[in-house]
Amino acid sequence: MAELATGPTKSGRRASCVKREADSRSASWRALARGQASDERQGTRDDSLSFGLYVHVPVCRSKCRYCGFYSLPADRVDAPRLVDGLLLELDRCERTGFCTAYIGGGSPSSLPVNDLLRLVQQVRRRCLPAAEFTVECNPGQVDAGFLEGLRTAGVNRLSFGAQSFLARELELLGRGHSVEQIGAAVTAARRAGFENVGLDLIFAIPGSSPADWQASLDAAVALNIEHVSAYSLSFEPGTVFEAWRRAGRLAAVDEELDRAMYEWTIDRLERAGLRQYEISNFARPGFECRHNLGYWANRPYVGIGPAAASCLTLDIREGGRRITNDADIERYLAAVESGRPAPAQTQVVSPDDAVCETAVLNLRRRGGIDLAEFRRRTGLDPMRIFADPIERYRAMGLMEVTDRAVRLAGRALPVADTILCDFSALD
Amino acid sequence: MKIQNIRNFSIVAHIDHGKSTLADRMLELTGTITERQAKDQILDSMDIERERGITIKASAVTMEYEHDGEHYMLNLIDTPGHVDFGYEVSRALAACEGALLVVDATQGIQAQTLANAYLATEAGAEILGVINKVDLPAAQPDLVAEEIEHVLGIRRNECFHISAKSGLGVKDLLDAVCMLLPPPADRSDEPARALIFDSQYDDYRGVICYVRVFSGTLKTRQRIRLMGTGYTYQVTELGKFRPDMRPVDELGCGEVGYVIANIRDLANVRIGDTITDDVHPAPDALKGYKPPMQMVFSDFYPGNNTEYPRLRAAFDKLSLNDASFTFVPQNSQALGFGFRCGFLGLLHMEIIQERLERENDIDVVQTAPTVSYEILLRDGTVKRIDAPSELPDRTMVAEIREPFVKLEIITANDTIGGIMKLAEARRCKLLKTDYLSPTRVMMVYKAPLAEIVYDFYDLIKGISHGYATMDYEFTGFEAEDLVKIDILVNGTPVEALSLIVHRSNAEPRGRKLITKLRKSIPRHQFEIPLQVAIGGKIIARETIKAYRKDVTAKLYGGDVTRKMKLLKKQKEGKKRMKNIGAVEIPQEAFMSVLDTSE
Ligand SMILES: Nc1nc2c(ncn2[C@@H]2O[C@H](COP(=O)(O)OP(=O)(O)OP(=O)(O)O)[C@@H](O)[C@H]2O)c(=O)[nH]1
Ligand code: SF4
Ligand SMILES: [Mg+2]
Repeated sequence: MAELATGPTKSGRRASCVKREADSRSASWRALARGQASDERQGTRDDSLSFGLYVHVPVCRSKCRYCGFYSLPADRVDAPRLVDGLLLELDRCERTGFCTAYIGGGSPSSLPVNDLLRLVQQVRRRCLPAAEFTVECNPGQVDAGFLEGLRTAGVNRLSFGAQSFLARELELLGRGHSVEQIGAAVTAARRAGFENVGLDLIFAIPGSSPADWQASLDAAVALNIEHVSAYSLSFEPGTVFEAWRRAGRLAAVDEELDRAMYEWTIDRLERAGLRQYEISNFARPGFECRHNLGYWANRPYVGIGPAAASCLTLDIREGGRRITNDADIERYLAAVESGRPAPAQTQVVSPDDAVCETAVLNLRRRGGIDLAEFRRRTGLDPMRIFADPIERYRAMGLMEVTDRAVRLAGRALPVADTILCDFSALD
Repeated sequence: MKIQNIRNFSIVAHIDHGKSTLADRMLELTGTITERQAKDQILDSMDIERERGITIKASAVTMEYEHDGEHYMLNLIDTPGHVDFGYEVSRALAACEGALLVVDATQGIQAQTLANAYLATEAGAEILGVINKVDLPAAQPDLVAEEIEHVLGIRRNECFHISAKSGLGVKDLLDAVCMLLPPPADRSDEPARALIFDSQYDDYRGVICYVRVFSGTLKTRQRIRLMGTGYTYQVTELGKFRPDMRPVDELGCGEVGYVIANIRDLANVRIGDTITDDVHPAPDALKGYKPPMQMVFSDFYPGNNTEYPRLRAAFDKLSLNDASFTFVPQNSQALGFGFRCGFLGLLHMEIIQERLERENDIDVVQTAPTVSYEILLRDGTVKRIDAPSELPDRTMVAEIREPFVKLEIITANDTIGGIMKLAEARRCKLLKTDYLSPTRVMMVYKAPLAEIVYDFYDLIKGISHGYATMDYEFTGFEAEDLVKIDILVNGTPVEALSLIVHRSNAEPRGRKLITKLRKSIPRHQFEIPLQVAIGGKIIARETIKAYRKDVTAKLYGGDVTRKMKLLKKQKEGKKRMKNIGAVEIPQEAFMSVLDTSE
């Protein structure tokens, strides 16, 4: 899948690029709200004060059996029209100077290359020079020309939906690409000049043995990539997998094995120099996905496209909004083509909720909550407002506290949600 | 109003025999409520009463009625029928000269019919026998009349045959109330004395006292004194229930109504206290109530420790409305600050807990109910405990005495066998068997309270297909071969889970308990051993496996809203848990002590 970055939500909705942001106290925020990045920051990789941009392409060549996300088959979508629509929505957005951009899906690589390049070029124009720019690709849908085109247009990071290195598993998942195509895609990416390539992998696939998963991990490591995202398979409502499971045709992997697979993942990738920096993400130092780091830092971002989400919380102390575009492509296109904003759901985030979101998201990072950063962003001391759970879990050896950070202990990672829930609301 | 034309009476009966419905008809017939206001069981005004379809609190209402060309004032008190609420009935009866004893024509005399008949006799009330539901096809009014004569000594031809539902015979009954029940004694010249038989707290007006005037007169703006507590107040409003509160200028001798006197401090008003005039006080107070006997005890802790002051305020308020439960502060090392509460029975406990949460929006964690025990120590002193955790060290205890009751069960004779078997398994001793009629039997047992107070009623109901009813009365404490079972969770003894049981039963009970606990304590991040210890020796063990995986794999921009919602819900679920030795123990776990089923 679609290693979605600002992922659309299940039900699928979409966000418009909102013109007017909440008034912010600080001048730099106001400047940012207008999309003006200050000169000295233009050439840096400090993303702390800038927006990310996510573009959602809700199209796939065929539907994978485990995927619960909103996407339509490529042959039922008028690709040029869709891209025109995305560009219209992007045009309505006054903001420029994005520090990261991410085109995800769906499978952006299932678009005709010209259309994808048109999108890439417009996105690139709105990014800072040093921006990280990722496009998600299905390894079965790329060739040298395609990848060179992306590279030339300014894309500097690729994320391949590899999922597994076992032909049987790829077949079961319904991925529509082969094991060989994964290696070939990575090689082609290198040739095209990509120095930052990542793979998505799925473990705990029904029927998967410990050896199966270890084989996939070894194969991924052997490709010498910079980044791996590894997710435990979940049965999502409405998917073929879920139906099969209910009918008894598939069985979820035993919880114990699921956990063991997760622990091997961490161990194997760390040994290969891919450091775990988030619950499901691993990278060579310096190659952490800056775009996704923005989510876990609870920084603002703009989402374009059906089912894309935007986070317009500029100053956590004031709260903000999350806006999620509706999923339906037709209604989306009809709106943007007639000059209207994309239909969307808005959720107001109270200052308290924004603080909690920040804590929960931060704690997904291996580095956890950076105390100074948290204080600066929220005006609050995490050691005080979360004193109770921090103390409790520290005593249980599930959290680690230093004078600079609070983070989950390694053994807490497999059960992170039972801990994070205590940070989801202030008492 | 001439005192000869005042009638004060309670309606008493076994549960569901139709008291509140009879009250409805009387209110209509006397024009106290209009057709438009009418609704079923109108006096059951609490939400919880309407939802459960039972009366929990007695309620008073004043009606006016013409009989034989004379104007009468009828003060009716509708009472609850459930076994737990006998205390409400006896308080109501103390305010009355008469009682209507209602018996369902399809069911005949039941356990609380008898119990309430005794209460009425004890209170010196004149009793009228009323056979209700004669409209039902299954009604056997003549048989029931015979039973009433045989068991209660009320002559069969003196019983009233009515249908509270259709209203049949209710007018005759009202006439009989005027003709046959005695008026209050005329003590209008004596100093004022009014019995507080109930009270309620109103946020704006303070305490509202429900009173029956036994002598003299109460007037608005009068300075009154509460004889028991000594506090004095000025009456701001007097009134009657019709059934809503209607102010009047005075309440005369023999009348029933309410008194408001800007009483803000809940502790100053005691149910059963006497109101008198502050300037010309009566020499002595009315005979109050003997305090009710709490049968089961349970500790209540706020789900969140910072809510303790709110819990205390909520208990204060509730106790004003319900004189029959007790609460004393309790500090448990494991559970924090809370209260040890005493109740008349399990339904009573359930209701208080529900009202607490509902009327005050507080989450409480409650420990399993227990009876109280008398402990004879080796040094000869006797100590009362109402939680197993208070049992002194074994080496200091000479004997443990448990409460015994006289248990009366009424059932059909073809279900006797099953009930006897259960009773025997519960250490009950059969004292006698009486035939109420050729097909109905009353069995009288001597029973350990702890064996019959929790699930026994449900079980005999099951055995008898809903037919059997029971009532019990405390008789005294007696020594038995009792032991304490301790439960260790994650190596830590959890006092709130310990229980005292008969030695013969201890091991199976302990095993059953940890099997239940294993299911009700959620998995944690680590393995949790559960152990049963008797006298310091571990006799059984179970393990709750550790949570192995609970983590969201993907959390990116579009997932935040939904995930935060789920996490909040997960956190909410922990609220009714208590953290003991790093283990979150949910409310249900404390209650698994009660569950003796297989
Ligand atoms: N058919 C018929 N049903 C009746 C009659 N009187 C009461 N009922 C029904 O019996 C049920 C119980 O009536 P209630 O008036 O609530 O009984 P209660 O004695 O007040 O019950 P508690 O207060 O809980 O002890 C209700 O469903 C009534 O409708 C009657 O005369 N005939
Ligand atoms: S169907 Fe497959 S390719 Fe498309 S979004 Fe889902 S997982 Fe990705
Ligand atoms: Mg009733």
